[in-house]
Amino acid sequence: MSVSGSMRLLPVAAFIAFSLAAGSVQAQTRAETLRYVTGASVNTLDPNIPGSTREAFAVSLSTYDRLVSFGRKQLNGKWVFDLGTITGELAESYEVSPDGLKMTFRLRKDAKFQDGTPVTAEDVKWSLDRVVTAPILGKAQLLTGSLTSADQFKVIDPLTIEVTLPKPDKLALPNLATVYPIIFNSKVAKAHATADDPWAMAWLKENTAGSGAYKIESFKPGEQVIMTRNADWNRGTTDKSAFFKRVIVQSVPEPATRANLVERGDADIVVDLQASDVQSLEAKGKLKVISTPQYNAVTFVSMNNQIPPFDNVNVRRAVAFALPYDDMFKAALFGRGSPLFGATWADGKPTSGAYPIAQPVKLDLDKAKEYLKAAGMPDGFSTTFSFNVGQASTAEPMAALVKESLAKIGIKVDIQKLPDAQMSTQINEKKLPFFTEGIVAWLPSTDYFYRNFYTGNQRWNYSSINNPELAEIAQKARFEPDAAKYEEDGIKLNAIHFSEMPQIPLWQPSQDAVMATSVEGYTYQFHRQVDYRDLNRK
Amino acid sequence: MQALGATVIRAGRRFLSSLPALFGVLVFTFLLMRVLPGDPAVFFASGPNAGKEEIEVIRKQMGLNKPVPEQLMLYLYDVGSGNLGRSMMTGQLVTKDLRERLPASLELTVTALLIALLSAVPLGVLAALRPGSVIDHGVRFFCALGVCVPTFVSGLLLIYVFYYLLGLAPDPTGRVDIFASLPPRQTGFLLIDFLLAGDFDGWWAAFRQLILPALSMALFVVAPLARITRASMLVSLGSDFVRTARSVGLPWWRVVVTYALRNAILPVITIAGIVFSTMLGANVLVEKVFSWPGVASYALDALLSSDYAPVQGFVLLMATVFVIVNLLVDILYGIADPRVTIG
Repeated sequence: MSVSGSMRLLPVAAFIAFSLAAGSVQAQTRAETLRYVTGASVNTLDPNIPGSTREAFAVSLSTYDRLVSFGRKQLNGKWVFDLGTITGELAESYEVSPDGLKMTFRLRKDAKFQDGTPVTAEDVKWSLDRVVTAPILGKAQLLTGSLTSADQFKVIDPLTIEVTLPKPDKLALPNLATVYPIIFNSKVAKAHATADDPWAMAWLKENTAGSGAYKIESFKPGEQVIMTRNADWNRGTTDKSAFFKRVIVQSVPEPATRANLVERGDADIVVDLQASDVQSLEAKGKLKVISTPQYNAVTFVSMNNQIPPFDNVNVRRAVAFALPYDDMFKAALFGRGSPLFGATWADGKPTSGAYPIAQPVKLDLDKAKEYLKAAGMPDGFSTTFSFNVGQASTAEPMAALVKESLAKIGIKVDIQKLPDAQMSTQINEKKLPFFTEGIVAWLPSTDYFYRNFYTGNQRWNYSSINNPELAEIAQKARFEPDAAKYEEDGIKLNAIHFSEMPQIPLWQPSQDAVMATSVEGYTYQFHRQVDYRDLNRK
Repeated sequence: MQALGATVIRAGRRFLSSLPALFGVLVFTFLLMRVLPGDPAVFFASGPNAGKEEIEVIRKQMGLNKPVPEQLMLYLYDVGSGNLGRSMMTGQLVTKDLRERLPASLELTVTALLIALLSAVPLGVLAALRPGSVIDHGVRFFCALGVCVPTFVSGLLLIYVFYYLLGLAPDPTGRVDIFASLPPRQTGFLLIDFLLAGDFDGWWAAFRQLILPALSMALFVVAPLARITRASMLVSLGSDFVRTARSVGLPWWRVVVTYALRNAILPVITIAGIVFSTMLGANVLVEKVFSWPGVASYALDALLSSDYAPVQGFVLLMATVFVIVNLLVDILYGIADPRVTIG
């Protein structure tokens, strides 16, 4: 028995020995490979396709170039993208005319598409025409920078393209650095266009035709994308190709598994771990954890300003003073983020015109009760508090605390946990009275936030606020060239926000990037994903 | 030979008679998805600037701008021509997604069921041979434990011990090591494809990936199989023919295996069939924990985002699998007990 047993074990032992040997051979190329794991997945290679995920944005940033890109700056010792510095990517240089109505881009002479053909102004024109004409996501984004029609893009010579604007718009140039206006190889794309699909959307969804730092090696939607380096690419900040020879983007739905992978060194970087896991990994000290407050994102408790009882400003104020902010911040985020509560405003005026700013609110039940009395509801009322399943890990503990605290001033809260699609439908139809949600702005400026999230009868106006004064100031500020006046407008907007209290800003959660100690160069990007081109291994 | 032909014809007839049921499932799921609250167009138009216009574009793309009866007719026509629609989530045709993912789920479920059967049947037999003994209680305890621990807990525990602490198992991310190369796709079952390609290292790697998820699934289903084996063995051991076999002095293994077990196996096959169909659809937790690219986690993601086509496709697929498994079980009955015919 024992003899035959060990005989049977022999091939197994041989297998193990063999796979160990194979492992050490792999290790050499492993250092040049970046393995990124995420809970989400890549569903298209063209970020413009409706329904595309954020992971798809990150992949397209590596496979395509834009005319320009954002620089980076240090914020509290961490690298973050810098909206103020715009550098050339495919453009060697650019200039904006003194009246702000004309932008001229000169393309790099050495820029080539991955098939070896040079990048020309014709390709740029076709790509920009596509993004403002085709029924795709980029259209709505570029609208925010006054880029709306193909007539605005003009080819001057094979290496020069001119963009004209109807009004000087400070968001026009930054918009060209967002994920949507990527430059396609127009000859290849046109060859795959059909009469029904003149912009080759179907083909570009599953294929790439770009000039970016990485080529697609394999693409399995919902599972993984493997990219290999484009050695000819030289648009990096240091005029070099990207560091990693191979990038693997893999979907691992279970957050605990992602934490295990990065801790064991099998994955190199992950940005979507649970706050509790980040906490314990940071405490162990074996990995590098870079936490950056997402300074272009805000989490709210929103109230529908059109539905009773939240149409009464005093009810909204009462809620604002009845939330247990500190406990919520600890329970939901483990304190990982920057709080937007507990500020003191000298003589009640906003301290700055930036958005978002910390509000002078804190848990004060007596004050909350007074406001409720002023609203004519001293005994409180009943309502529901909703959040979506996708956010349950942070929203669930938060909802329990909201319920507990509001009960103390007589507001009875039923907690409602909704599947993501159902939640977005109800928000779009303005049916939820009281809920938590978050927003992100790629181009975070005060007027942009107020115009998109506080005006109009549209989905992103979570609180459904309809305040003509606020809308007017925000519209005017958009084209305000004078920085001092812009700041003044911002202060006015923030003051209206506080006095109307349409929704309650809670905090800006941190983006916790957890990576192997050997990985360097991580920069917090506006799209809240990892730009693989930034990274290297020491 | 003639008997076999008759069986095939009967099986074919059985399959045809289940088509109306499949059609019913198809229509019912279609309507159910549309009754559920949650508008997929709004969900998928969730880019930072997506407004009414984007929502309309997606609605049109998904064909949701037409009245429901017309949508149903179009869908039935598409299904009739072998097209299950397109998933918004992955951007692929549902048939392609399912074809990619079904082998992954099947491979996992079949392995888990094999492990479960190979351990449950002997355990059940042992327990039945010595009812009330330490062995019997031990088996009962083991079964209770297996049922009590949800699959994702046992999965996470196995990962913690074998991957995180001991480092014996490969990282629990899918069907094959991410750095390894895949065999040319022939059947979609990696264990078979690697064998066909003659790549034994690859086979071993795929097997190592498979073993932990299969174990955590098997643990959960050992209990019903072992319990039913025990119960039905007890009946058959107490019957007259076993007493006769014993009294004529046949060796004990022959009595137990040939006479008692063969007669006791019918209910086990029935339960195994049911367990298999349930596992295939309900192993979503295991698939999530091990990042297994199977159909169940695909369907769950689709359901959460109200992605109609994949959910409908998945339900249709599951119904079909159920029909086929039932058919298979009936045929196995015939083999186990020649007195049973399917009709």
